[in-house]
Amino acid sequence: MNPVTREERHWFLHCLAQGLYEYMGAAAPPIPVEGLLQHPPDVYRDDFGVVDMYSTLWDATFARPPNGRGSVFVRIDLTPAERRLALARELLSALITSRHGRAMGLVQLLMADLKDSAEYFARCLAVPEPLLQAFRRREGKQADLAEAFCIPGGAARLRWEDSPA
Amino acid sequence: MSMQALNRLVARSIVDPTVLQAFGSGHIGQVLGELDFSPEMRLTLSGIEAGSWTEFAVQAYRTVKASEKPAVRIELPSPLEGLMQEQEQKRSDYGQVA
Repeated sequence: MNPVTREERHWFLHCLAQGLYEYMGAAAPPIPVEGLLQHPPDVYRDDFGVVDMYSTLWDATFARPPNGRGSVFVRIDLTPAERRLALARELLSALITSRHGRAMGLVQLLMADLKDSAEYFARCLAVPEPLLQAFRRREGKQADLAEAFCIPGGAARLRWEDSPA
Repeated sequence: MSMQALNRLVARSIVDPTVLQAFGSGHIGQVLGELDFSPEMRLTLSGIEAGSWTEFAVQAYRTVKASEKPAVRIELPSPLEGLMQEQEQKRSDYGQVA
């Protein structure tokens, strides 16, 4: 694959997040990311899952046994905001390694910058563009974004800055 | 308009396998026909040769973006040109006096 710029990669991830948001049909925040993992689109049926774990090593991680059903293993003691963002972030790994994701070529596009891609994708999914624009139209402030969408403050700040006013 | 249509197409591709099937079988033009692309853009995008859907998407993004970029040119008059015009004017004024 030819070199792809960060801006192009982010555009693509933004579109993916938008597609999943439209699939969920969430009319208001917070976005039910865990529900998406448990009830994904048909093309990912039996592909994803969520497993609660006790761990001190990571907040969440995705694992897929060879030819098996993948799961996000998530630390049980995260706050709801941390859990939402961690699940959204790991959802990208689930998509990339799924049969449909591999057929799309997600591995070639996203694996080289997986951390940046996953974090950007998670912010776009947890704060979808239409809801962010609606939040802004209602005079919503950056300081209130984290609470409104139930995501950590740092991620909310980055999402606010990512999106044109 | 084309960028919005492309955004919708890529968004749809993550949940709708028919997009990928159409691309894989060389019939992406049919899917593009369902979206709000101009006939010329549809033709251009249909002609993109890519080894994967993501490669197609990125090439399509570049194509659409290039077509939508307004040809902005800041055409300020050269300061020299301005002085020359002033001189010409003066000259012609003198000419009229003379």
